[in-house]
Amino acid sequence: MSLLTAAQPVLPGIADCAGLLSAPRDTEPVDPAAVLGKKGLRYKDRATQLGLVAAKLVLTEANLLDGEGRCTDPRMGVLVSSNFGNVDTVCRVANTIAEETTRGVSPMDTANASSNVIASEIAIRFRLRGPNLMLCNGSTSGADAVRWADSLVRAGRAARMLVIGVEPDNPVVRELSGNTRVLDGGAGVLLESPGAARNRGVAGKAVLRRCVRAADPAGCARELGTEPALRLGSGESAPFDLDARFGASSGALGVLQCAASIGWFSAGGRGSVHAISGSETADATAGLLIGGADE
Amino acid sequence: MTAAITGLGAIASIGGNVGELFDNLCAGRSGLAPMRGFDHAKYNARQLFEVDNRPAEGVDVPKRATALLGTAIREALADAGLGPDLDGNPVLIGTGLRELRSVELWWRDGAPFEAGDLHFGSELRREFGAADTHTFAGACSASLYALALGADLIAAGEHDTVVVAGVDVVTESMFGLSDRFQPVPPDRVRPLDVHRKGTILGEGAGAIVLRAPENPGRARLRSVGINCDAYHATAPDPAGVSASIRSAHERAGIKPSDVDLVLLHGTGTPLNDEVEAGAVREVFGEALETPLLTGIKSMTGHTSGSAGALSLVTAVRSLETGLVPPITGVAERIEETEGMRVVLGTAQQENPTVAQVHGFGFGGVNAVAMLEVS
Repeated sequence: MSLLTAAQPVLPGIADCAGLLSAPRDTEPVDPAAVLGKKGLRYKDRATQLGLVAAKLVLTEANLLDGEGRCTDPRMGVLVSSNFGNVDTVCRVANTIAEETTRGVSPMDTANASSNVIASEIAIRFRLRGPNLMLCNGSTSGADAVRWADSLVRAGRAARMLVIGVEPDNPVVRELSGNTRVLDGGAGVLLESPGAARNRGVAGKAVLRRCVRAADPAGCARELGTEPALRLGSGESAPFDLDARFGASSGALGVLQCAASIGWFSAGGRGSVHAISGSETADATAGLLIGGADE
Repeated sequence: MTAAITGLGAIASIGGNVGELFDNLCAGRSGLAPMRGFDHAKYNARQLFEVDNRPAEGVDVPKRATALLGTAIREALADAGLGPDLDGNPVLIGTGLRELRSVELWWRDGAPFEAGDLHFGSELRREFGAADTHTFAGACSASLYALALGADLIAAGEHDTVVVAGVDVVTESMFGLSDRFQPVPPDRVRPLDVHRKGTILGEGAGAIVLRAPENPGRARLRSVGINCDAYHATAPDPAGVSASIRSAHERAGIKPSDVDLVLLHGTGTPLNDEVEAGAVREVFGEALETPLLTGIKSMTGHTSGSAGALSLVTAVRSLETGLVPPITGVAERIEETEGMRVVLGTAQQENPTVAQVHGFGFGGVNAVAMLEVS
C-alpha cells in the first residue's frame, strides 16, 4: 500500500499534525494570503483558497516545488474532497438570476459553479498534470479520496497523489448541514508508492494499510481488524473526535484523520490507527487502517 | 486492462432507454425544446435539451438528477441480468453538478432538501442497498473518469462487478452564467461547423455494468486514459488533450490505424471543436482517414457529467450494430477537419470494431476510453 510522506493541517492556530490532537485552538480564521500571497486569490471561493493553502504547505514540506512554485513531478495527480465547497456560489448566483436576470451575474463565478473547481485550480497553480478529481461523497468523502488516491497509485496512473480535504464555513453551509459549528479549513496529505518515495530518498511518516467501506461504524471497525492503539472517529469509543474539536468537518474529515495519525506517530505513538468516518445514520461509513512507518 | 461491458442504461432528452436513445440519434432527432422549468424572462436563451421528468410544465422539484440516475442504473442492471441488490458492489457516479439544482430550489424557494442527498450515495443505499458508492465531480469528463477508476478496480482483481454511471440536470447557476455571455443564444448545437455559436446544456444519465474480463459482454473496455491540462480554468489545452488520447492508446496497446470510430466530445463551442480536431489530427497523423468521426451533442445537447457515459453507450451500440449516428446541423465544416471522415446528416453503416470515446471538462480534465467489439 501507499506511504503517507507529508501532511499538513489548515486550521486556525494549528501549526503541525501533532497539534491536531493536542494544541489549543485559535479562533482567528486561516488567512490564505499569508501562505499564498495576495496575487491570484481574488474571485476564488473560500474553499478553493483553503485547498490551495493545503496544497502549497504539503508540496513545500515534501520539497516538491521548484523556484517558481511549480511541482517538480509533472505527473503528480490531485484528489480533493469537499461537499460544500461551492454551494454558496451556486445559491448566490441563483438568487441574483431571480432578482436581476442573468444580466446581474458575474463572469468570475463561472469556474466556481463547477463542482471540481478546487481540484482544477490546484492543478493549474502547481502544474499537476496527473489524474485530477473531486470527490463530493458525503461524510465518507475524505476517506474515500485517500482510498482512490491509493488506487490510482497502485494502478500506475501516478507515482504520487496529493489528497486535499477542505470545507468552508458560511451561512449556506450552516443551514444546509444543520450545524452551528462548521469547520473552516482542512488538511492535505501526500501519498506515494514505496518506490517513488525511495527514488527521491524520503521515508514514509505512516503507511496506509487498508481502506474499507461498510454499512455502519461497527462493521468498519470489524473489517479493519487488529486492535488499534488509537481510534479516530466519533462516539464513546473514539477519544479523539476531530469534529467535536474543530467543528463539523464533512468532506475534510478523512484527510484530517490521516494528518492526525501522522501527528500521533510523530509524537511517539506506536501500533496502528483506526480512522472511521460516517455514522449509523449516514449512507455508509469508511475506514482507514494506518500504521507507523517503522513497523 | 480489459473489462467486459455487460449492461447499459441511458436516459436523455431524446430517449428514455438505450434503444430509444440510439434509434433517435441514428434518425437525427434533436431533443432541443423550449425550457420547461426555468422562468423564460430571466434568460436570453429559451431552449434546452431537458429530460421531461418534472411533474408539470414550469413546476420544478428537487432530486431530478437522482431520479434519472436511478432510471439508468435499473436499466443497466436488468440488461446485465443482475438483480437490484448492489450490496458489496462499488457504484461510481460521475457528475458535474451533483444535486446542486436541488440546493438552488432549497435555498431560494424553500423546497425540501437535505445535505445527505447532495451526493447520490444516500438514494443508492435506499434503493439498491449499495454501501460502497462514490460521487465524483469532474465537470464534463466525470463519467469517463469514473469509468477509469472502476476499470482499475476490476483490473486489480478487487471486484468482479462495478457499476459506473454519469448524471446531470441543468442548474440555473451554470446555465445562467453561460447565458450571461451569449446575448444572442445559439439556435442549435453545431459541432465542427464554421458558424457554430456555442453549446446548449442538456440533461441525462448513462450507466454501465463492468465485469471481470472472463464474462461475456456487449463490448470490451480496453483502456481509459485520464489526465489534466493544468492550464486554464475553462479553456482546453491542445497538448493535454492529445496526451490523454495517446495515453488511452498506449494503455490499450492500440495504434491510431486500429481505431475505426471516434465519438468526439464535440460541444459546438468555438474553442473545444478547434482544439479537439487539432488533437485528433496530431495523434492520428497518417491514419487520419481511418476512423469515422461523430458526436451526439447536436441531438442531446451538452449533458455535462453524463456526456461521456452517453457517448460510451452510443459507441457500444455502434460496435454492436455497425451503424454510426451522424452529427446534425452542420452546413460548413471547419477546416481543421479537412481529410477526416466525419459522419454528417445521416447515419452511416460501417462495421467498426474499435471505438474511441472522448470526454473533456472545465479545469482541463481529460478522459478517453477505448472500446472493442466483444
